[in-house]
Amino acid sequence: MQFYLRSALVVLGLLVLQTTFIQWMELGGVVPDILFVWLMYIAITRGQIDATVAGFTVGLLQDLATTQFFGLAALAKTVSGFVGGYFYNENKTEIMLGTYRFVLVTMICSVVHNLIYFGIFFQGIDGGVLVPLLRYTMTTTLYTGAVSALPMFAFFRKYLTA
Amino acid sequence: MNALLERLYGLLLTFKEYVILSFLVVVSLVLLALNDTVQVQRLRSIATVVLGLTQEQLSFIPRYFGLIEENELLRRTNIELADEASRLREAKLENLRLRQLLGLKQQSTYQLVAARIVSKNLTLLRNTITLNVGTNDGIRPSMPVLSDAGLVGVVVAVNQGYSVAHLLLNVDFRASAKVQRSRVDGIVAWDGTSLQLTNIAKTLDVKVGDVIITSEYSSTYPPGMRIGTVKEVKEQPATLFKIVTIEPSVDFVRLEEVFVMTAVPDRDKIELEAQVGQRR
Repeated sequence: MQFYLRSALVVLGLLVLQTTFIQWMELGGVVPDILFVWLMYIAITRGQIDATVAGFTVGLLQDLATTQFFGLAALAKTVSGFVGGYFYNENKTEIMLGTYRFVLVTMICSVVHNLIYFGIFFQGIDGGVLVPLLRYTMTTTLYTGAVSALPMFAFFRKYLTA
Repeated sequence: MNALLERLYGLLLTFKEYVILSFLVVVSLVLLALNDTVQVQRLRSIATVVLGLTQEQLSFIPRYFGLIEENELLRRTNIELADEASRLREAKLENLRLRQLLGLKQQSTYQLVAARIVSKNLTLLRNTITLNVGTNDGIRPSMPVLSDAGLVGVVVAVNQGYSVAHLLLNVDFRASAKVQRSRVDGIVAWDGTSLQLTNIAKTLDVKVGDVIITSEYSSTYPPGMRIGTVKEVKEQPATLFKIVTIEPSVDFVRLEEVFVMTAVPDRDKIELEAQVGQRR
């Protein structure tokens, strides 16, 4: 119960950050998805089912907070949470979190997330979907991956330097 | 029967990850399909209020950090505006004299409602802003949003305390516009990377530096509102049209305060045009 309450508070805090201060970090129209980094943390520490449900919940909240398509972030985060759950290994959680593997997992799942999200988001625009889809998928993945290095360093200090 | 149920239950338990995934994917797809329903709109309206309030409470932080820069900009703008005001006063007096001479009726002026941007969404394709004014302030969908620099966008959704506006930099935005110097008409639209004046035949007179304003053909925007200046004119091979790229007058990155013009679309004009269209 305590875990769920703590998670709810963390998600709300991250949602406020994502919709306000993260705009400062905008580079060429691309912002990192910090809620996605949290989702990857859940996938690695809690497994596939928790990550799938958490992805859906967080995505739905993100959909409510933006004026974009309702249900789109929920869909993308549900699937990417599920994919992230494949990297769950109860005995290797600390190694997964505190090494480059966390960044790698985040980036792999971010590609899945962004392909679904932008693939639907860009439907109907002039000039074709493929070029903006690849452009935004790559840049957002790289940016989110770079941001995921910050918690990775924190986990490294917490778990692997003792 | 029981054995079948038990087997089914066993299967569900074995593949529970996939069952949960499938269920949540279906729910997401249903929500995507129900995007325009009243229930979803109401839910978003509530979320917009909650988020708007939170962002309004937190909005002092970026303003605090940008205070020195903003102060300098305001001082410079103040000097420019003082100069412009004195010139406008002269122009107004001259205008009044000329109007009296011609017996023209004074053009009606629109009421402007000041609004603060509480949230800015800059995702490059469908850029929007959330304003701290809503139906309580007389705001309705389709009202133009502008700043001192020119046209900013158009209100698309409103609730009691907040409204959401599409910026010029939104693929869903269209505005009937014209070149101020040569009176050439076109449609202003954003293709995801640049603002363009479309439907401009190669034979028409458009030059770099020309000012683009809203045209009187628009049912949403009053004529003469500044949109931007022509940045580049390129010939499009194998077509009859030019590519005219516009530099918007408004700096959307720095934009914090705007005005909503409480002018609703001219319904009589729209209805008449629709009737004529049906007859054809």
